[in-house]
Amino acid sequence: MAKAVKILLAGEGGQGVQSVAEIIAEAANEEGREALYIPNFGVEQRGGVSIAYLQIGDEPIGAPKFQTGDIVIALSDRAVHRTRQYVGPQTLFVYDSSIEGVDDALPTQARKILPIPAIDVSKKELHPRVFNIVIMGAVIKATGVISVEEAKKAIEKKLGYKFEKNPKLRELNFRALERGMELVAQAI
Amino acid sequence: MPDKPIEGEKRVFMTGNEVVAWAALVAGAEIMYGYPITPQNEIMHYWTRLAPKYGREFLQTEDELSAGFTTVGGVLAGRKAFTATAGPGNTLMQEPMSMAEAMRLPTVVVIQQRGGPSTATVIYSQQEVTMTTLGGNGEGLRIVYSTANHQELFDYTIKAFNTAWKYRFPTFVLGDGYQAKMRESLTIYDPASRGIELVEAEPYFGKPGVPGVDRPPTQLRNTYNVEEELYEVLEGYFRDYQKIAPEVAEHEAFGLEDSDLVVVSHGVVSRACKAAVKELREAGIKVGYFRPITLRPLPVEAIRETASKARQFLVVESAQGQLARLLKEAAFGCPVEMLDLFKPGVGITAEDVVSRVKEIVG
Repeated sequence: MAKAVKILLAGEGGQGVQSVAEIIAEAANEEGREALYIPNFGVEQRGGVSIAYLQIGDEPIGAPKFQTGDIVIALSDRAVHRTRQYVGPQTLFVYDSSIEGVDDALPTQARKILPIPAIDVSKKELHPRVFNIVIMGAVIKATGVISVEEAKKAIEKKLGYKFEKNPKLRELNFRALERGMELVAQAI
Repeated sequence: MPDKPIEGEKRVFMTGNEVVAWAALVAGAEIMYGYPITPQNEIMHYWTRLAPKYGREFLQTEDELSAGFTTVGGVLAGRKAFTATAGPGNTLMQEPMSMAEAMRLPTVVVIQQRGGPSTATVIYSQQEVTMTTLGGNGEGLRIVYSTANHQELFDYTIKAFNTAWKYRFPTFVLGDGYQAKMRESLTIYDPASRGIELVEAEPYFGKPGVPGVDRPPTQLRNTYNVEEELYEVLEGYFRDYQKIAPEVAEHEAFGLEDSDLVVVSHGVVSRACKAAVKELREAGIKVGYFRPITLRPLPVEAIRETASKARQFLVVESAQGQLARLLKEAAFGCPVEMLDLFKPGVGITAEDVVSRVKEIVG
């Protein structure tokens, strides 16, 4: 059977990488797949790059962390520097195209390097608060670890209480998911 | 008040700390005493949320010494009591757990190992093996289960209460920061639905009958005036421990029949080792897998048998040889060569193990 897909998400606190990882992991679990998600954590209360390690497969997952990701997503310049070590010859490296001055820091050995304008799109077309859902769309399009339907169900489960008060938020989040998927589809 | 925390069984996706709280609840734990320390804090958090719904209690103490001694007190009062800690907290916990050894008290302690020595990291390690198995000024009269995944964390936390109250030795569930913080799926269940009978707690004092006439008096001591008196008591404890050790000891293994090289690990690291050994065997490299589940008592007979057949052990752990030292003692005299992959305080992946094995077999 195929090995588990290894996904690494890294960004600044507040960019929502942990919640994206958690939603995808829970959605995969709901689909009956094996999922393991672990955040990095340290003594700092704030600051530092936030990293989420996520693995999804069909058999019980091995070690909780890994050396090389199948997909590595960096959402800030510090995150680009911090995640280089997780990139190997088979890795798809995704970063936000608005991050400047990291050309020298981009990994050289990646299978493919993919800049996507997720920050820009969420700011201009959607709302900055759905940035992480754009990223979630990018992850599921690039990896196929869960279906769009399951992703939407998971978002509904997580944010449904907010959608009830303001149904427009549902539309906004689902649109963000689809835009994230499109960004990756275009680039690939 | 709802009767049972879980009816039947339920597939869930949660952190290891949450798993421990649920397991303690269904195991019939009546009170948790605790002092916060990362990475075990959420055991307390979840317990304090769940416990009041089922008439259970919680006391936060001023430090781990106190959390350990109040756990001892809870047990003396005839209650299923437990605590949880990590790292430097585990160091402080050794003093009260030494008292529990002296009095043969069924305390249950959940350890989520973090980096050491001292404060080190709040993240992860397997560096509390020596301390948890043999800590305190005593002789290691305790039982230690080392879990590898959330299902085991649930199963063995329930089992820990039963083992403790059945045999009356302090019992530990040895997890780590990764198991504490990661989320994965497991099935939680009502022990009765699996035919697991919970061993009842009972009070130590105030039993029916006249002490010394109808029943032996309850005499719980951690102080002796005479050397010989202590010696006699301890001899009895050692005999008891020796007797129960084979019943309590557990391990898992595969691929031993045809392998000269056996990868030995415990806890969360065994996940990487299991994946590595499977991958290597599929590639035609004959290598075996052995994992003690109980680190105290060790499955000595199984270790010696394996060490007599295999030519080499590759001991893999996130510590500088703490498991290896226990294995060397257990396998003393067996002609096995001990090789190692030690990464103290750092996670070990299947890739690490595969490349080390390839280095050895050439």
